[in-house]
Amino acid sequence: MKYRCPVCMFPSLPYPPSNYHICPCCSTEFGNDDADFTHDQLREMWISNGANWFFGAPPEHWNPWMQLIRAGLDVPRPFTTLRFANNATVEHARIRLLAPKYELCPAA
Amino acid sequence: MPESDCLLQNMNFVLRHEAMLKPFVCVPCEKVIIAKEADVPSLIGLISRLILTVPADTDIPKDAVAPKEWFVFSIWDSEPGDEQREFVLCTQVVYPDKTQFGQIGKLKIPVEPKKRSQMLIQLQGFPIGQAGTYTVRTWVEEKEQLVVGPLEFTIEVEIIRAAAPQKTSPSP
Repeated sequence: MKYRCPVCMFPSLPYPPSNYHICPCCSTEFGNDDADFTHDQLREMWISNGANWFFGAPPEHWNPWMQLIRAGLDVPRPFTTLRFANNATVEHARIRLLAPKYELCPAA
Repeated sequence: MPESDCLLQNMNFVLRHEAMLKPFVCVPCEKVIIAKEADVPSLIGLISRLILTVPADTDIPKDAVAPKEWFVFSIWDSEPGDEQREFVLCTQVVYPDKTQFGQIGKLKIPVEPKKRSQMLIQLQGFPIGQAGTYTVRTWVEEKEQLVVGPLEFTIEVEIIRAAAPQKTSPSP
């Protein structure tokens, strides 16, 4: 069974977040760190320190921000605006352009 | 029978057995609306370029992600016999420096006779740690072997640095 860290939202804790177990992702020691701070406060501290992986090598292609987003939490936005833009030349044709051209017959 | 006809027949035989899913459409977009009746899809905001404005004094972390939902929508044409095979649609997002963002998304493609297979891959964030050309790569696997693709499209990410606010001297 896997458990989710209530601080960094790492979804694969092999043990429940209690009894002085330590999260390998954010280093929270459950029963100790979260006795003094709320999980939200601990998360803020982890993020403000760079949201780095704590113990050993992180899982392949691990991304702390995607971990938080997938858990439904907001993440820091280092930008003021984000917008999608087009990157194409634009030509809109009506279907009649595809129809054969008919020459007008000169008046008899 | 001439030898060339024989060869042609053999090639057709091989082609028939090699025939499989074919891409009808594959695009990244901001939203997909699926009509309740008939499951007709409408695509909103096809994505080709993303522009970010960043304060002059702010560094974007290499692993930064914008919490912006987007989709890779695709439809696949099937051929008789495909419904008995197990196809998996794979989706990969690659940074401008060719490293991979996140995991490769894998989703089984349900195939029914005389029907197209409509696939919607939801991505909950967009990587913004590097400016440049991101590649979204899609392919189909069968028994973990590539059988169709890869199809690739690119998305440009442009980062604009906002000018630092100029200090104004106090008026006398």
